[in-house]
Amino acid sequence: MAAIEPVLRSGASLSRPRRWRLVRHAPLSDKLALGMLALITLLALLGPTLAPHDPLAAVGPPSHPPSWQYPLGTDEVGRDMFSRVLCGLQSTWLAALAVIVGGVLIGGAIGLVAGATGGWVDTVLMRITDVFLALPASILAIAVVAAIGPSLFHTLLAVSILWWPYYARLVRAEIRSLAARPHIEAARLAGVGWGGRLWRHLLPGAVPTAVVAASLDVANLVVLLAGLSFLGLGAQPPAPELGSMTATGLSSLLTSWWIPVMPAIAIFLLSLIANTAGDSIRDLMDRS
Amino acid sequence: MSAPIEVLGSGAAATTATERPVVDAADLDVWLTRDHLESHVLRGVDLQIAPGEIVGLVGESGSGKTVLGMSLLRLLPEGARPRVEGRIEVDGIDMLAAPEEALRELRRHRLGAVFQDPMTSLDPTMRIGGQLREVAESDGDAIELLGAVGVPEPKRRLRAFPHELSGGLRQRVMIAMAIAGEPRLIVADEPTTALDVTVQAQILDLLSKLCRDLGCSLLLVTHDLAVAAQIAQRVVVLYGGRIAEVAPTAALLEHPRHPYSAALLRSRLDVEMDVTRPLPTLHGEPPDPRDLPVGCPFAPRCEFARPDCEAALPSLDPGPGPGRFDACIRSEEIDLRPKRVELEPWVAPLVDPQAEDALVAAAVQVDAGSSSFWRRGSTVKILNGVDLRIAAGECVALVGESGCGKTTLVKAVAGLVETSGGALDVGDKSPQMVFQDAGSSLTPWLTSRELVEERLRSCGVPRAQRAERVEAVFAQVGLPAWAVDARPAQLSGGQRQRVAIARAIVAPPKLLLCDEPTSALDVSVAAGVLNLIGRLRRELGMAILFVTHDIAVARLIADRVAVMYLGRIVESGPATTVIADPVHPYTKALISSLPGSGGRIKLKGSPPSLFDPPSGCAFHPRCSHAREECATRPPRIVAVGDSRHEVDCVLAEEQG
Repeated sequence: MAAIEPVLRSGASLSRPRRWRLVRHAPLSDKLALGMLALITLLALLGPTLAPHDPLAAVGPPSHPPSWQYPLGTDEVGRDMFSRVLCGLQSTWLAALAVIVGGVLIGGAIGLVAGATGGWVDTVLMRITDVFLALPASILAIAVVAAIGPSLFHTLLAVSILWWPYYARLVRAEIRSLAARPHIEAARLAGVGWGGRLWRHLLPGAVPTAVVAASLDVANLVVLLAGLSFLGLGAQPPAPELGSMTATGLSSLLTSWWIPVMPAIAIFLLSLIANTAGDSIRDLMDRS
Repeated sequence: MSAPIEVLGSGAAATTATERPVVDAADLDVWLTRDHLESHVLRGVDLQIAPGEIVGLVGESGSGKTVLGMSLLRLLPEGARPRVEGRIEVDGIDMLAAPEEALRELRRHRLGAVFQDPMTSLDPTMRIGGQLREVAESDGDAIELLGAVGVPEPKRRLRAFPHELSGGLRQRVMIAMAIAGEPRLIVADEPTTALDVTVQAQILDLLSKLCRDLGCSLLLVTHDLAVAAQIAQRVVVLYGGRIAEVAPTAALLEHPRHPYSAALLRSRLDVEMDVTRPLPTLHGEPPDPRDLPVGCPFAPRCEFARPDCEAALPSLDPGPGPGRFDACIRSEEIDLRPKRVELEPWVAPLVDPQAEDALVAAAVQVDAGSSSFWRRGSTVKILNGVDLRIAAGECVALVGESGCGKTTLVKAVAGLVETSGGALDVGDKSPQMVFQDAGSSLTPWLTSRELVEERLRSCGVPRAQRAERVEAVFAQVGLPAWAVDARPAQLSGGQRQRVAIARAIVAPPKLLLCDEPTSALDVSVAAGVLNLIGRLRRELGMAILFVTHDIAVARLIADRVAVMYLGRIVESGPATTVIADPVHPYTKALISSLPGSGGRIKLKGSPPSLFDPPSGCAFHPRCSHAREECATRPPRIVAVGDSRHEVDCVLAEEQG
């Protein structure tokens, strides 16, 4: 029986706190990516408390280059860039997360029902999805925000309504291929009802794909939100928001480069961390 | 094509030839990396193949047989970061040192490869002619090549796409490509595993004939000792990345010297086995290549193992007789000659013809609409009037080639496929099913416990009793306790199939459906699963409908056999009678294609298309007894001889 002993050991280690063990035994690169994700989320949550200065008040000389006192310099009215980037991180990161979570939930639900049911339900839901996909999301968002009045909350609402079709298609495709696998037939024969098959035997299989797609989407969303802010539809000008700070600061690029570049670097880091963490989460799911 | 190279003599002559061997691998070590884990796949393997020799390389999955075959071609998967040490010379070229340029030249002109699944190794977007022209000089050569491998109407086939050919024809095309360069060596990796028995025999004949005609050597990689024994002159048995035994085929069959070879021979199924007892099996599973034992890899499963077997790797030492080597330190003391192992006989199954039948199928019909664009709207009859009755506690094996509708019938009984005519009665308890590929029939992210409990919940078993029932059923199907909380990916193939069986029987059904439950498993593991099904059936008094393409399995497990051809049951009756004394010409041909059954009846052509079923009796175009009336009217089902032996053929009409 010595042959099965190694398997036995690995089997025995699969008790309750399985997920945490999985993270602990993950390769260093995955741990690093997940650690960075936790760090940036923490920074975003604590941003305003950590900021040394008021992000909306002029606290120093205008267009001051990075120094010990102002690590990222000051902008053209003398506001501290470091404090503004920290606070901007909060609104941008949390806004992006909110929209993506909303999109994944709405799109995932529609894709799940369409993919698992098939037939006319599938056709109707997917044609509706196609209609939303055919409309350019940014222009539609502008129209919606213009109609209900500009504010960050309204913008998020408008973008969430438009962000789901992509996930609906993705999840539906994944569910359709899963639904053709014998394990669904096996579950049906075991007496598992429609809802149970959907929830336990189909949905978990589509989660990794959706997570990876969502993590790649963070950058797109930050850019879209920045564009809307630039048009005056997102967070209103003095409010710190990474996209609009980059966009409005662009005119100072040749004179005071740090004004647009610092928030741009923050966006870049945000997307990079989201992407690598998304890949790591997928790898961990594959291994479990 | 040039004139055939001078034919080399028999196997014995080839092995003793003093010519330089075509393959000379010595002390070969291969490491592959998967999921950040490096495994030592081959550990000090020596292999010589003489010119013109056919060598069978036999081993279970994970033994390293495919890796050895691929190493000879230097085609190891780059993604697995292969590390190779030792020496490989093929046709005098050092495969490890030669530049990529020289390797490509060598593969193109001196080596051929045939893989398991010709559908995936042929380019689906390219016509056969285009693919052949990559290796042949001209169209003329391509046609000649197709003719040489026995493809009918070769000129017309040049314009066909791979999906338009049957599995057997595709494999012939692969072989044509392999022999195009007049190779010195062909590596065939499971070339017949994906094919039906009747086609498998043809392909093996073809390979052996081509090697004779062209004088090239063949390395036949297979998990099935019977396949290797059919054409190989010498057999190499691989286990845990080590050679366990090398011997001339006849000598190995007669007197294996390694306990693993002996176990493989014992678990081979044939039509003369004693069906009243369980099969002799090997306990345990093949070793995990990522975690190999220090000593003899087979020691943990070996009944003759001594403590010193686990101390160090045994070396491959010469044994008595020419060309014999074995890696067992006890091969001198133990006698492994095949002998009857007397296991406790089975108790008689509880077939109860008085009780309500487990299944009554009457004139069942299943139609399917075509999904092909050009034929949309036309329907095909997948099942065409099937009658089948299974008494309570009876086991019926459904036998037939792929595409005959046997899986469709099982799915119709399970309620997974809608019937378009006839009646199916399975009583009030819904039947349960065990699928062919256990891996894909278990939901990958759920643990065994969750899967089995789900079945209990749907049967209304209260929550408090479920855990106990799950543990009891796992013990009943022979799974270790830890498997309860494992997911399918953490289990071996045999264990997964046992989990699937556990789910099916945790609330015992009246009828259990088994769709080729052992065809994806290694021989030594399959025997254990067959025994398990045989035992459970007797313990629980279940009726079983067992689908298989393997007549030996059908004879072993079933009380009655039903043979299907093109959506109809052509012959059914008591298993021993049908197999010993078949009446329908198709059954006769199927049984004669078993290895070692003597005179083989060769069927003309390949199974007809469902879109264009032949008139009258569906089998008449391939039947050697066909006469005019067969083409015009379908035969009647008549009873032959003793009870419940029924045949769907005009020959039987006359007899009966």
